[in-house]
Amino acid sequence: MAELDYRSLLETNNYLRTLSDTTYWLCITRTVQESKLFPMNPYMLLSYLNSFYRLPTLLREIDAATPAEELGDRAREVSLKVDTVNAAWGMPAFYLIGREMLMNWGLLRPGDAVEDVVDVLDFSRRFNLAYHRTDGHISNKEFGDRSQFLPERTLQVFEADLHGVTPGDRLHTAATKLVAQLSQYAFLAHCECRIGLHNSGPYNFGEGRQLIVRDFFDLTEGDYPWLDGIATRLPVNNLTIPIVFKDTNFHLMDDWASFEAEPSYNAANIAAVGMYTSDALTDGYVPVGMDNADTLAETMEQYREILNEATADLWKRIATWTREQMIDAGALVYSSVAKDFAHLAGTYRQEDWLSLDDRVQRFKPLMNDEYGRDNLGEMVGLLGFPHQKTNEYTMARYSGLNQNMLTGIPYSVLTDDDFAPTAGDRLSGSSSLPAKNGLWTTSAGRIDLDEYNRRARGFTPAVLQGANRYRDEEWVKWHHGSAEADELYRLAQRGSRNLEGRGSGLRRADLPDAGEGASGADR
Amino acid sequence: MLPLPGRFNGAVRALAAQRFAATGARWKDVVFERQFDLFSLADARAVEQEALDDGYRFDFSATVSLESEPDKYKRPERETPAFTDGGTNADGRRQVGVGDNVIRKSATVTGPVALISRIEQVMGYLADGIPEGTIAVIDDSGGTLTAPIIEGFAGVICLGGTVRSHLGILAREYDVPTLMNCKIDTLSDGDVVELEVTAAPPAADAYETGDTGHARIWLVGNEG
Repeated sequence: MAELDYRSLLETNNYLRTLSDTTYWLCITRTVQESKLFPMNPYMLLSYLNSFYRLPTLLREIDAATPAEELGDRAREVSLKVDTVNAAWGMPAFYLIGREMLMNWGLLRPGDAVEDVVDVLDFSRRFNLAYHRTDGHISNKEFGDRSQFLPERTLQVFEADLHGVTPGDRLHTAATKLVAQLSQYAFLAHCECRIGLHNSGPYNFGEGRQLIVRDFFDLTEGDYPWLDGIATRLPVNNLTIPIVFKDTNFHLMDDWASFEAEPSYNAANIAAVGMYTSDALTDGYVPVGMDNADTLAETMEQYREILNEATADLWKRIATWTREQMIDAGALVYSSVAKDFAHLAGTYRQEDWLSLDDRVQRFKPLMNDEYGRDNLGEMVGLLGFPHQKTNEYTMARYSGLNQNMLTGIPYSVLTDDDFAPTAGDRLSGSSSLPAKNGLWTTSAGRIDLDEYNRRARGFTPAVLQGANRYRDEEWVKWHHGSAEADELYRLAQRGSRNLEGRGSGLRRADLPDAGEGASGADR
Repeated sequence: MLPLPGRFNGAVRALAAQRFAATGARWKDVVFERQFDLFSLADARAVEQEALDDGYRFDFSATVSLESEPDKYKRPERETPAFTDGGTNADGRRQVGVGDNVIRKSATVTGPVALISRIEQVMGYLADGIPEGTIAVIDDSGGTLTAPIIEGFAGVICLGGTVRSHLGILAREYDVPTLMNCKIDTLSDGDVVELEVTAAPPAADAYETGDTGHARIWLVGNEG
């Protein structure tokens, strides 16, 4: 539980205001959220409220089992759904936007739930500091819209093992088609929102090349009840596809994990690709079909076929949903952005993350499409809620106007007493969606939830065990070639086609040519 | 403040203030402990009903909203053409629209248009397939309405969004020639159009500067 003192409030408000500025910039410069299929804006508003009421309680349980900074370490080593858009930005932003809605309705005052706000933002800050430890920033925006959390030992394996491609060859075609299919399926499975997709990087791969890492999450049976029986031929729940581009500068990788490039993203500039999977139970990235270019192409073709069929199956299922079911599903996708923290900690319960709280259900009749669209627009674009105004002398970072999206905590809570410090920990909720009956797809196979939690509670990846956890890039710089550094690097090199057992101290020039068995791309 | 948020939010605030005053208790003892006294499901229904009783009807965005609660939503009206100043070029073709090109191609794309806005149309294409060369006219910049069929179109005219919208992202991934943020004159199913997908995509700051709409759409022929 939060320690309420002047220092913790100063830190909380600093973090909150930075998030407020960044979120405003994202909302006004990025894209429009709309769908003819899903009532998106109504479900987004409900999701924010659900986050407000539930997240503090759920995060406290997780934090007690596995501290936030340890979760950041886990997320830094492989691709997990608690990533830039979901955990680093979305989790605290959704929580705080829900708080704004309630304040605007006069159902909350800025000092209320102060312990919850401090706890959520403290958790978020500790997670982000550890997640971004490699580059030392707290967000992509702070790093100049860039995302470089992977350590050298992982990037070296990618560089050595990715398969070269040229436009028109089998692997190039298979990779571009699979990425397209994955993108589309991820939007559909996540009710039109982008949180099933993730991008990070760029990383300098030399000779005018840059690597971006593209991830796709929750692809088959798992937490979402609507994926029961969908894509069950797919043996993995998450896929990571590192892609090397030539002659393309990815000049922006924002906190929604979307990118911009100059020249713009063009599949013709893809020079090398690979495929991996990871989840809460994997010890590092696990190669998928990486033995040779033909096997990788064949695997990608097979996965694309499965996902193409799954897209049609899922679309037909969703097309029969009622409006309330569509809203519940979308709201739960958004409000459960932090759910994989519970999977990492082994504390996941379906009703915690896939129920709309009773306190939220009471607002549903307000959520017609027009109110959803316009209230969201007022709150995050126009900043038109009366309480979002500041005094007439102030000029906000991006708008230059005297208004902020998110409201700080008044320091007077340290002396006043007419506020309620927490929204409470009694969670009761429901959903109009069919109950989940399927299993969970993990790297340990299709297992039930008790087994998933049991395995998660007992698991720490080898690169984070003991002293390894603190052997960061600075330490490696001073100790490469030592027995300890070699051991650390060999952990990342397990399963590598070209670097197994090579240890630390390798430079780019020492890496074997990726051309062997590949599609002929040079390096 | 936009009209409906102004109306609803004001109503919720007034109710909450009135209910709190009636408790005679301190705020900290009411805000969460008695939160359903401040505002309840019945209150939300009453706020909505009052607007409907006044004759207010809501704009819809998802077709499921209009179909499931037709009495609450405005019926879609035939929209006034957003683009009406198109000239005729030397070939006799009339310009019928502009948009933002997602992927720069080496040649323009020509084909008959199909206007798509409903689930039933997508279901029909899923069952019967998409006629070759079809250019979809979609007013939804999301990626899910047309999720199972987008790859089958020869081109897409999207009447909303930006090149960064979900449909723009998917168009790029699938390499489907697509213009986003289009303004068009009235088009009917079967009209044959040419998309200038050879145009440069908008610059990174185009949506802040307003420098958009450089790809043209030409009417090549009318059905029948």
